[in-house]
Amino acid sequence: MNSSPITSWEGASAYFTFADSPAMLVLLFLLSVLVTVGVIAAMMVHEKHSFQRVKNGG
Amino acid sequence: MSAEELEQLKSMIEMSGTVNMEVYYWWCTAVMVLIHVGFLAYEMGASRLKNTLASGVKNILAFAFVIPTFFFFGWFIYLGFPDGFSLRLDDAAGGIPWGESMGPNLSDNATGVFWAAFTLFAATTASIMSGAVIERIRLSAFLILAVLLGSAVWILGAAWGWHPEGWLTLKLGYHDTGAAGVVHMVAGFFTLGVLINLGPRIGRFAPDGTTLPIVGHSTPMSLIGLMLIIVGFFGFIGGCIIYTSGDQWVTIYNTPATLSSFAFNILMGFAGGIIGAYLITRDPFWMMSGGLAGIIAAASGIDLYYPPLAFLIGFIGGVVIAYADKLLQRFRLDDAVGAFSVHGVGGLIGVLSVGLFAGGYPNVDGPAISLGGQLVGALVMAALGFIPGYLVSLLLKSIGLLRVPAEAEEAGLDITEIPSRAYPESSGPPAIPHGAAMPPIQG
Repeated sequence: MNSSPITSWEGASAYFTFADSPAMLVLLFLLSVLVTVGVIAAMMVHEKHSFQRVKNGG
Repeated sequence: MSAEELEQLKSMIEMSGTVNMEVYYWWCTAVMVLIHVGFLAYEMGASRLKNTLASGVKNILAFAFVIPTFFFFGWFIYLGFPDGFSLRLDDAAGGIPWGESMGPNLSDNATGVFWAAFTLFAATTASIMSGAVIERIRLSAFLILAVLLGSAVWILGAAWGWHPEGWLTLKLGYHDTGAAGVVHMVAGFFTLGVLINLGPRIGRFAPDGTTLPIVGHSTPMSLIGLMLIIVGFFGFIGGCIIYTSGDQWVTIYNTPATLSSFAFNILMGFAGGIIGAYLITRDPFWMMSGGLAGIIAAASGIDLYYPPLAFLIGFIGGVVIAYADKLLQRFRLDDAVGAFSVHGVGGLIGVLSVGLFAGGYPNVDGPAISLGGQLVGALVMAALGFIPGYLVSLLLKSIGLLRVPAEAEEAGLDITEIPSRAYPESSGPPAIPHGAAMPPIQG
Protein backbone atom coordinates (compact mmCIF):
# COMPACT_ATOMS: atom_id res chain seq x y z
CA MET A 1 0.00 0.00 0.00
CA ASN A 2 1.47 3.32 -1.03
CA SER A 3 0.59 5.61 1.84
CA SER A 4 3.31 8.23 1.37
CA PRO A 5 2.11 11.76 0.70
CA ILE A 6 5.59 12.76 -0.51
CA THR A 7 7.90 11.71 -3.31
CA SER A 8 10.91 13.67 -2.02
CA TRP A 9 12.03 15.05 1.36
CA GLU A 10 12.77 18.41 -0.28
CA GLY A 11 10.25 20.91 1.13
CA ALA A 12 8.30 18.18 2.93
CA SER A 13 5.95 19.34 5.67
CA ALA A 14 3.16 17.04 7.01
CA TYR A 15 4.55 13.69 5.90
CA PHE A 16 2.63 11.15 7.98
CA THR A 17 0.90 8.22 6.31
CA PHE A 18 -2.13 9.27 4.24
CA ALA A 19 -1.52 12.99 5.02
CA ASP A 20 -2.71 13.85 1.50
CA SER A 21 -5.89 11.82 1.79
CA PRO A 22 -8.43 13.44 4.15
CA ALA A 23 -10.97 10.66 3.58
CA MET A 24 -8.46 8.03 4.71
CA LEU A 25 -7.51 10.11 7.77
CA VAL A 26 -11.14 10.49 8.78
CA LEU A 27 -11.69 6.75 8.25
CA LEU A 28 -8.72 5.86 10.48
CA PHE A 29 -9.90 8.38 13.07
CA LEU A 30 -13.40 6.90 13.11
CA LEU A 31 -12.00 3.36 13.42
CA SER A 32 -9.95 4.50 16.42
CA VAL A 33 -13.06 6.00 18.02
CA LEU A 34 -14.95 2.78 17.30
CA VAL A 35 -12.25 0.67 18.99
CA THR A 36 -12.23 2.97 22.03
CA VAL A 37 -16.00 2.98 22.46
CA GLY A 38 -16.31 -0.69 21.51
CA VAL A 39 -13.90 -1.85 24.20
CA ILE A 40 -15.90 -0.01 26.86
CA ALA A 41 -19.07 -1.67 25.54
CA ALA A 42 -17.33 -5.07 25.65
CA MET A 43 -16.22 -4.29 29.19
CA MET A 44 -19.84 -3.68 30.20
CA VAL A 45 -20.83 -7.08 28.81
CA HIS A 46 -17.93 -8.75 30.64
CA GLU A 47 -18.94 -7.05 33.88
CA LYS A 48 -22.54 -8.16 33.50
CA HIS A 49 -21.49 -11.80 33.08
CA SER A 50 -18.95 -11.64 35.91
CA PHE A 51 -21.40 -10.10 38.35
CA GLN A 52 -24.07 -12.62 37.40
CA ARG A 53 -21.61 -15.47 38.01
CA VAL A 54 -20.77 -14.11 41.48
CA LYS A 55 -24.47 -13.66 42.30
CA ASN A 56 -25.04 -17.27 41.32
CA GLY A 57 -22.26 -18.32 43.68
CA GLY A 58 -19.86 -19.30 40.85
CA MET B 1 31.73 37.12 8.54
CA SER B 2 29.63 37.44 5.39
CA ALA B 3 25.91 38.10 5.40
CA GLU B 4 25.32 34.56 4.14
CA GLU B 5 27.37 33.05 6.97
CA LEU B 6 25.52 35.20 9.48
CA GLU B 7 22.24 33.96 8.10
CA GLN B 8 23.43 30.35 8.37
CA LEU B 9 24.55 30.94 11.97
CA LYS B 10 21.20 32.50 12.85
CA SER B 11 19.38 29.54 11.28
CA MET B 12 21.54 27.08 13.23
CA ILE B 13 20.87 28.86 16.51
CA GLU B 14 17.13 28.94 15.83
CA MET B 15 17.04 25.23 14.98
CA SER B 16 19.09 24.42 18.07
CA GLY B 17 16.56 26.34 20.19
CA THR B 18 13.65 24.52 18.53
CA VAL B 19 15.18 21.12 19.15
CA ASN B 20 16.02 22.05 22.75
CA MET B 21 12.38 22.99 23.26
CA GLU B 22 11.31 19.57 21.96
CA VAL B 23 13.84 17.82 24.18
CA TYR B 24 12.69 19.78 27.23
CA TYR B 25 9.01 18.85 26.89
CA TRP B 26 9.85 15.27 25.87
CA TRP B 27 11.59 14.75 29.21
CA CYS B 28 8.90 16.56 31.19
CA THR B 29 6.43 14.12 29.66
CA ALA B 30 8.65 11.14 30.47
CA VAL B 31 9.02 12.24 34.09
CA MET B 32 5.26 12.73 34.32
CA VAL B 33 4.77 9.04 33.49
CA LEU B 34 6.16 8.46 36.97
CA ILE B 35 3.01 10.08 38.36
CA HIS B 36 1.14 7.09 36.94
CA VAL B 37 3.66 4.61 38.27
CA GLY B 38 3.03 6.27 41.61
CA PHE B 39 -0.76 6.25 41.33
CA LEU B 40 -0.62 2.58 40.39
CA ALA B 41 1.41 1.59 43.46
CA TYR B 42 -0.44 3.98 45.75
CA GLU B 43 -3.92 2.72 44.83
CA MET B 44 -3.00 -0.94 44.81
CA GLY B 45 -1.43 -0.53 48.25
CA ALA B 46 -4.51 1.30 49.52
CA SER B 47 -6.77 -1.55 48.33
CA ARG B 48 -7.51 -4.63 50.35
CA LEU B 49 -5.87 -7.79 49.08
CA LYS B 50 -9.09 -8.91 47.37
CA ASN B 51 -9.16 -5.78 45.20
CA THR B 52 -5.46 -5.21 44.50
CA LEU B 53 -5.30 -6.05 40.81
CA ALA B 54 -8.72 -4.61 40.01
CA SER B 55 -7.50 -1.26 41.34
CA GLY B 56 -4.36 -1.62 39.23
CA VAL B 57 -6.31 -2.46 36.07
CA LYS B 58 -8.56 0.54 36.66
CA ASN B 59 -5.56 2.81 36.96
CA ILE B 60 -3.75 1.45 33.91
CA LEU B 61 -6.84 1.69 31.73
CA ALA B 62 -7.56 5.27 32.81
CA PHE B 63 -4.13 6.23 31.46
CA ALA B 64 -4.70 4.22 28.27
CA PHE B 65 -8.17 5.63 27.52
CA VAL B 66 -7.30 9.27 28.20
CA ILE B 67 -4.49 9.23 25.63
CA PRO B 68 -6.58 8.53 22.49
CA THR B 69 -9.58 10.54 23.68
CA PHE B 70 -7.37 13.55 24.39
CA PHE B 71 -6.18 13.18 20.79
CA PHE B 72 -9.77 12.86 19.54
CA PHE B 73 -11.14 15.98 21.24
CA GLY B 74 -9.06 17.23 24.21
CA TRP B 75 -6.56 19.32 22.30
CA PHE B 76 -9.39 20.71 20.12
CA ILE B 77 -11.23 21.87 23.26
CA TYR B 78 -8.13 23.60 24.63
CA LEU B 79 -7.46 25.53 21.44
CA GLY B 80 -11.10 26.28 20.69
CA PHE B 81 -12.69 27.47 23.93
CA PRO B 82 -10.62 30.20 25.64
CA ASP B 83 -13.61 32.57 25.43
CA GLY B 84 -16.02 30.38 27.44
CA PHE B 85 -18.51 28.14 25.67
CA SER B 86 -18.24 29.88 22.29
CA LEU B 87 -15.95 28.15 19.81
CA ARG B 88 -12.99 29.90 18.15
CA LEU B 89 -13.10 27.86 14.98
CA ASP B 90 -9.86 29.20 13.46
CA ASP B 91 -7.81 28.40 16.56
CA ALA B 92 -9.54 25.06 17.12
CA ALA B 93 -8.61 23.96 13.60
CA GLY B 94 -5.08 23.28 14.88
CA GLY B 95 -6.51 20.57 17.12
CA ILE B 96 -8.73 18.77 14.62
CA PRO B 97 -7.52 15.16 14.79
CA TRP B 98 -6.95 14.86 11.05
CA GLY B 99 -5.21 18.26 10.77
CA GLU B 100 -1.67 18.69 9.45
CA SER B 101 -0.20 19.44 12.88
CA MET B 102 -1.63 16.31 14.51
CA GLY B 103 1.07 13.99 13.23
CA PRO B 104 4.65 13.92 11.96
CA ASN B 105 5.31 17.30 10.34
CA LEU B 106 8.73 18.77 9.53
CA SER B 107 7.48 22.34 9.81
CA ASP B 108 5.88 21.86 13.24
CA ASN B 109 8.19 20.74 16.04
CA ALA B 110 5.94 22.02 18.79
CA THR B 111 2.45 20.52 18.55
CA GLY B 112 3.42 16.91 19.29
CA VAL B 113 5.42 17.62 22.44
CA PHE B 114 2.88 20.13 23.75
CA TRP B 115 0.05 17.69 23.05
CA ALA B 116 1.98 14.95 24.85
CA ALA B 117 2.64 17.11 27.92
CA PHE B 118 -1.03 18.16 28.04
CA THR B 119 -2.07 14.52 27.61
CA LEU B 120 -0.05 13.61 30.68
CA PHE B 121 -1.71 16.48 32.58
CA ALA B 122 -5.03 15.03 31.41
CA ALA B 123 -4.18 11.51 32.54
CA THR B 124 -3.03 12.87 35.89
CA THR B 125 -6.34 14.69 36.31
CA ALA B 126 -8.31 11.52 35.61
CA SER B 127 -6.11 9.47 37.93
CA ILE B 128 -6.76 11.87 40.81
CA MET B 129 -10.35 10.60 40.88
CA SER B 130 -9.24 6.99 40.55
CA GLY B 131 -8.03 6.41 44.11
CA ALA B 132 -11.11 7.88 45.76
CA VAL B 133 -13.51 5.40 44.18
CA ILE B 134 -11.60 2.13 44.57
CA GLU B 135 -13.15 -1.16 45.62
CA ARG B 136 -16.75 -0.49 44.51
CA ILE B 137 -17.01 1.43 41.23
CA ARG B 138 -17.63 -0.42 37.98
CA LEU B 139 -14.61 -0.30 35.70
CA SER B 140 -16.69 0.77 32.70
CA ALA B 141 -18.38 3.58 34.64
CA PHE B 142 -15.04 4.73 35.97
CA LEU B 143 -13.57 4.89 32.48
CA ILE B 144 -16.50 6.92 31.16
CA LEU B 145 -16.01 9.36 34.04
CA ALA B 146 -12.22 9.36 33.61
CA VAL B 147 -12.49 10.21 29.91
CA LEU B 148 -15.02 12.95 30.66
CA LEU B 149 -12.78 14.45 33.35
CA GLY B 150 -9.42 13.91 31.67
CA SER B 151 -10.23 14.67 28.06
CA ALA B 152 -13.03 17.24 28.32
CA VAL B 153 -13.76 18.89 31.67
CA TRP B 154 -10.35 19.92 33.00
CA ILE B 155 -9.10 20.98 29.57
CA LEU B 156 -12.08 23.31 29.26
CA GLY B 157 -10.99 24.82 32.59
CA ALA B 158 -7.46 25.05 31.21
CA ALA B 159 -8.72 26.88 28.13
CA TRP B 160 -10.44 29.38 30.44
CA GLY B 161 -7.76 29.83 33.08
CA TRP B 162 -4.51 28.31 31.86
CA HIS B 163 -4.19 29.84 28.42
CA PRO B 164 -2.66 33.20 27.43
CA GLU B 165 -6.07 34.33 26.13
CA GLY B 166 -8.36 32.49 28.54
CA TRP B 167 -11.31 34.60 29.65
CA LEU B 168 -10.54 34.17 33.35
CA THR B 169 -7.13 35.71 32.84
CA LEU B 170 -8.18 38.44 30.42
CA LYS B 171 -11.19 39.56 32.48
CA LEU B 172 -10.15 38.76 36.07
CA GLY B 173 -6.37 38.44 36.06
CA TYR B 174 -6.68 34.81 37.19
CA HIS B 175 -3.25 33.37 37.92
CA ASP B 176 -2.67 29.64 38.34
CA THR B 177 0.81 28.89 37.03
CA GLY B 178 1.18 25.39 38.47
CA ALA B 179 -2.44 24.38 37.69
CA ALA B 180 -3.73 24.10 41.28
CA GLY B 181 -7.15 25.22 40.06
CA VAL B 182 -7.43 23.90 36.54
CA VAL B 183 -6.11 20.43 37.35
CA HIS B 184 -6.40 19.80 41.09
CA MET B 185 -9.55 21.70 42.03
CA VAL B 186 -11.41 20.52 38.97
CA ALA B 187 -10.40 16.90 39.63
CA GLY B 188 -11.09 17.15 43.36
CA PHE B 189 -14.57 18.63 42.98
CA PHE B 190 -15.44 16.26 40.13
CA THR B 191 -14.48 13.42 42.48
CA LEU B 192 -16.69 14.87 45.22
CA GLY B 193 -19.66 14.84 42.85
CA VAL B 194 -18.99 11.21 41.96
CA LEU B 195 -18.54 10.16 45.60
CA ILE B 196 -21.96 11.52 46.55
CA ASN B 197 -23.65 9.20 44.05
CA LEU B 198 -21.30 6.26 44.41
CA GLY B 199 -21.71 5.84 48.16
CA PRO B 200 -19.24 4.36 50.67
CA ARG B 201 -17.65 0.92 50.60
CA ILE B 202 -19.60 -1.72 52.49
CA GLY B 203 -18.48 -1.59 56.12
CA ARG B 204 -17.00 1.90 55.97
CA PHE B 205 -19.56 3.45 58.30
CA ALA B 206 -21.40 2.02 61.30
CA PRO B 207 -25.19 2.53 61.41
CA ASP B 208 -24.66 5.47 63.79
CA GLY B 209 -22.32 7.11 61.26
CA THR B 210 -19.06 6.27 63.00
CA THR B 211 -16.23 5.79 60.52
CA LEU B 212 -14.78 2.29 60.60
CA PRO B 213 -11.24 1.61 59.40
CA ILE B 214 -10.74 -0.11 56.06
CA VAL B 215 -7.02 -0.68 55.79
CA GLY B 216 -5.21 -1.20 52.50
CA HIS B 217 -3.08 -4.31 52.17
CA SER B 218 0.28 -2.53 51.81
CA THR B 219 1.02 0.85 53.33
CA PRO B 220 4.69 0.66 52.21
CA MET B 221 3.51 0.21 48.60
CA SER B 222 1.28 3.28 48.99
CA LEU B 223 4.13 5.32 50.46
CA ILE B 224 6.49 4.45 47.61
CA GLY B 225 3.70 5.27 45.20
CA LEU B 226 3.19 8.66 46.77
CA MET B 227 6.90 9.41 46.58
CA LEU B 228 6.88 8.45 42.89
CA ILE B 229 3.97 10.84 42.35
CA ILE B 230 6.14 13.56 43.89
CA VAL B 231 9.00 12.72 41.49
CA GLY B 232 6.53 12.86 38.62
CA PHE B 233 5.35 16.26 39.76
CA PHE B 234 8.76 17.69 38.93
CA GLY B 235 7.89 16.84 35.34
CA PHE B 236 4.39 18.21 35.78
CA ILE B 237 5.54 21.53 37.25
CA GLY B 238 8.37 21.68 34.70
CA GLY B 239 5.76 21.32 31.98
CA CYS B 240 3.95 24.38 33.32
CA ILE B 241 6.63 26.78 32.00
CA ILE B 242 7.00 27.84 28.38
CA TYR B 243 10.36 27.45 26.70
CA THR B 244 11.02 30.34 24.34
CA SER B 245 14.01 29.86 22.12
CA GLY B 246 16.65 32.54 22.69
CA ASP B 247 14.69 34.35 25.36
CA GLN B 248 13.62 34.14 29.02
CA TRP B 249 11.12 31.44 30.06
CA VAL B 250 7.52 32.61 30.41
CA THR B 251 4.49 31.27 32.25
CA ILE B 252 1.42 30.01 30.40
CA TYR B 253 0.19 33.65 30.71
CA ASN B 254 3.32 34.97 28.93
CA THR B 255 4.60 36.64 32.10
CA PRO B 256 8.38 36.23 32.55
CA ALA B 257 9.53 33.48 34.89
CA THR B 258 12.51 31.28 35.68
CA LEU B 259 12.74 27.57 36.23
CA SER B 260 14.77 28.49 39.31
CA SER B 261 11.72 30.10 40.89
CA PHE B 262 9.83 26.84 40.33
CA ALA B 263 12.72 24.88 41.90
CA PHE B 264 12.74 27.00 45.04
CA ASN B 265 9.02 26.86 45.60
CA ILE B 266 8.14 23.28 44.67
CA LEU B 267 10.68 21.98 47.20
CA MET B 268 9.65 24.42 49.90
CA GLY B 269 5.95 23.70 49.41
CA PHE B 270 6.61 19.95 49.45
CA ALA B 271 8.56 20.16 52.70
CA GLY B 272 5.97 22.41 54.34
CA GLY B 273 3.20 19.98 53.42
CA ILE B 274 4.96 16.96 54.92
CA ILE B 275 5.76 18.79 58.13
CA GLY B 276 2.22 20.16 58.47
CA ALA B 277 0.64 16.72 57.97
CA TYR B 278 3.11 15.15 60.40
CA LEU B 279 2.15 17.68 63.05
CA ILE B 280 -1.52 16.77 62.75
CA THR B 281 -1.52 13.06 61.99
CA ARG B 282 1.92 11.42 62.68
CA ASP B 283 0.77 9.04 59.92
CA PRO B 284 3.18 8.38 57.02
CA PHE B 285 0.31 7.99 54.54
CA TRP B 286 -0.95 11.48 55.36
CA MET B 287 2.59 12.87 55.55
CA MET B 288 3.26 11.90 51.94
CA SER B 289 -0.21 13.09 50.94
CA GLY B 290 0.68 16.30 52.79
CA GLY B 291 3.82 16.68 50.68
CA LEU B 292 1.66 16.48 47.58
CA ALA B 293 -0.86 18.90 49.05
CA GLY B 294 2.00 21.26 49.90
CA ILE B 295 3.14 21.32 46.28
CA ILE B 296 -0.43 21.87 45.09
CA ALA B 297 -1.05 24.64 47.64
CA ALA B 298 2.08 26.47 46.46
CA ALA B 299 1.53 25.71 42.77
CA SER B 300 -0.58 28.66 41.60
CA GLY B 301 2.06 31.19 42.64
CA ILE B 302 5.10 29.01 42.16
CA ASP B 303 6.61 31.64 39.86
CA LEU B 304 6.14 34.47 42.36
CA TYR B 305 6.52 33.41 45.98
CA TYR B 306 9.38 34.10 48.34
CA PRO B 307 10.35 30.48 49.20
CA PRO B 308 9.54 30.65 52.93
CA LEU B 309 6.06 31.84 51.95
CA ALA B 310 5.71 28.75 49.73
CA PHE B 311 6.84 26.68 52.73
CA LEU B 312 4.18 28.24 54.95
CA ILE B 313 1.44 27.84 52.35
CA GLY B 314 2.52 24.21 51.89
CA PHE B 315 2.46 23.76 55.67
CA ILE B 316 -1.12 25.05 55.82
CA GLY B 317 -2.03 22.63 53.02
CA GLY B 318 -0.50 19.75 54.98
CA VAL B 319 -2.36 20.74 58.14
CA VAL B 320 -5.74 21.21 56.52
CA ILE B 321 -6.08 18.05 54.44
CA ALA B 322 -6.58 15.59 57.30
CA TYR B 323 -9.31 17.83 58.77
CA ALA B 324 -10.95 18.16 55.35
CA ASP B 325 -11.06 14.37 55.03
CA LYS B 326 -12.62 14.05 58.50
CA LEU B 327 -15.24 16.62 57.50
CA LEU B 328 -16.08 14.54 54.44
CA GLN B 329 -16.54 11.46 56.64
CA ARG B 330 -19.07 13.31 58.77
CA PHE B 331 -21.24 13.38 55.66
CA ARG B 332 -20.63 9.63 55.16
CA LEU B 333 -18.56 10.27 52.07
CA ASP B 334 -15.93 7.60 51.62
CA ASP B 335 -12.88 8.98 49.81
CA ALA B 336 -10.56 5.98 50.03
CA VAL B 337 -7.32 7.94 49.58
CA GLY B 338 -8.25 11.50 50.54
CA ALA B 339 -8.26 12.68 46.91
CA PHE B 340 -10.79 15.45 47.51
CA SER B 341 -8.94 16.86 50.47
CA VAL B 342 -5.48 16.69 48.88
CA HIS B 343 -6.45 17.92 45.42
CA GLY B 344 -9.74 19.76 45.85
CA VAL B 345 -8.94 21.52 49.12
CA GLY B 346 -5.19 21.74 48.39
CA GLY B 347 -6.02 23.30 45.01
CA LEU B 348 -8.44 25.76 46.62
CA ILE B 349 -5.73 26.87 49.04
CA GLY B 350 -3.38 27.24 46.08
CA VAL B 351 -5.69 29.44 44.02
CA LEU B 352 -6.74 31.66 46.94
CA SER B 353 -3.18 32.02 48.27
CA VAL B 354 -2.13 33.83 45.11
CA GLY B 355 -4.92 36.33 45.66
CA LEU B 356 -4.01 36.75 49.33
CA PHE B 357 -0.24 36.93 49.02
CA ALA B 358 0.54 37.97 45.44
CA GLY B 359 -2.07 40.62 44.67
CA GLY B 360 -0.95 43.44 42.39
CA TYR B 361 1.41 41.48 40.17
CA PRO B 362 0.77 42.62 36.60
CA ASN B 363 -0.41 40.39 33.78
CA VAL B 364 0.66 40.84 30.16
CA ASP B 365 -3.01 41.01 29.13
CA GLY B 366 -5.86 41.64 31.54
CA PRO B 367 -5.97 43.12 35.03
CA ALA B 368 -3.40 42.51 37.77
CA ILE B 369 -3.70 39.55 40.14
CA SER B 370 -6.35 40.15 42.84
CA LEU B 371 -8.10 38.22 45.60
CA GLY B 372 -11.46 38.84 43.92
CA GLY B 373 -10.22 37.45 40.62
CA GLN B 374 -8.80 34.35 42.32
CA LEU B 375 -11.99 33.86 44.33
CA VAL B 376 -14.16 33.91 41.21
CA GLY B 377 -11.66 31.65 39.45
CA ALA B 378 -11.83 29.17 42.35
CA LEU B 379 -15.66 29.15 42.22
CA VAL B 380 -15.57 28.53 38.47
CA MET B 381 -13.12 25.63 38.86
CA ALA B 382 -15.14 24.07 41.70
CA ALA B 383 -18.38 24.29 39.72
CA LEU B 384 -16.75 23.13 36.50
CA GLY B 385 -15.55 20.01 38.28
CA PHE B 386 -18.50 19.29 40.55
CA ILE B 387 -21.46 19.73 38.18
CA PRO B 388 -20.46 17.24 35.43
CA GLY B 389 -19.06 14.80 37.99
CA TYR B 390 -22.28 14.81 39.96
CA LEU B 391 -24.67 14.76 36.98
CA VAL B 392 -22.97 12.07 34.91
CA SER B 393 -22.43 9.79 37.92
CA LEU B 394 -26.09 10.34 38.85
CA LEU B 395 -27.09 9.29 35.34
CA LEU B 396 -24.90 6.17 35.54
CA LYS B 397 -26.34 5.37 38.95
CA SER B 398 -29.91 5.77 37.73
CA ILE B 399 -29.37 3.15 35.01
CA GLY B 400 -27.54 0.80 37.38
CA LEU B 401 -24.11 1.16 35.81
CA LEU B 402 -22.18 3.06 38.47
CA ARG B 403 -21.50 0.55 41.23
CA VAL B 404 -20.68 -3.15 41.40
CA PRO B 405 -23.30 -5.40 43.04
CA ALA B 406 -22.88 -5.99 46.78
CA GLU B 407 -22.02 -9.68 46.25
CA ALA B 408 -19.12 -8.76 43.97
CA GLU B 409 -17.91 -6.08 46.36
CA GLU B 410 -17.89 -8.51 49.26
CA ALA B 411 -16.25 -11.32 47.27
CA GLY B 412 -13.63 -8.89 45.98
CA LEU B 413 -13.18 -7.45 42.51
CA ASP B 414 -10.06 -9.49 41.72
CA ILE B 415 -11.87 -12.80 41.94
CA THR B 416 -14.87 -11.31 40.11
CA GLU B 417 -13.15 -9.66 37.18
CA ILE B 418 -9.44 -10.39 36.97
CA PRO B 419 -8.02 -13.59 35.48
CA SER B 420 -4.87 -13.53 37.67
CA ARG B 421 -4.06 -13.18 41.38
CA ALA B 422 -1.94 -10.52 43.09
CA TYR B 423 0.08 -12.86 45.32
CA PRO B 424 -0.67 -16.42 44.18
CA GLU B 425 2.22 -18.06 46.06
CA SER B 426 1.54 -16.39 49.38
CA SER B 427 -2.04 -17.57 49.70
CA GLY B 428 -1.87 -20.65 51.88
CA PRO B 429 -3.90 -23.85 51.63
CA PRO B 430 -7.42 -23.90 53.01
CA ALA B 431 -7.49 -23.83 56.81
CA ILE B 432 -7.66 -27.22 58.55
CA PRO B 433 -10.73 -27.42 60.78
CA HIS B 434 -9.86 -27.79 64.45
CA GLY B 435 -9.38 -31.48 65.38
CA ALA B 436 -9.32 -32.73 61.77
CA ALA B 437 -6.55 -35.02 60.55
CA MET B 438 -3.60 -33.33 58.84
CA PRO B 439 -3.27 -34.17 55.14
CA PRO B 440 -0.24 -36.26 54.19
CA ILE B 441 2.90 -34.31 53.29
CA GLN B 442 3.54 -34.45 49.54
CA GLY B 443 6.90 -35.14 47.92
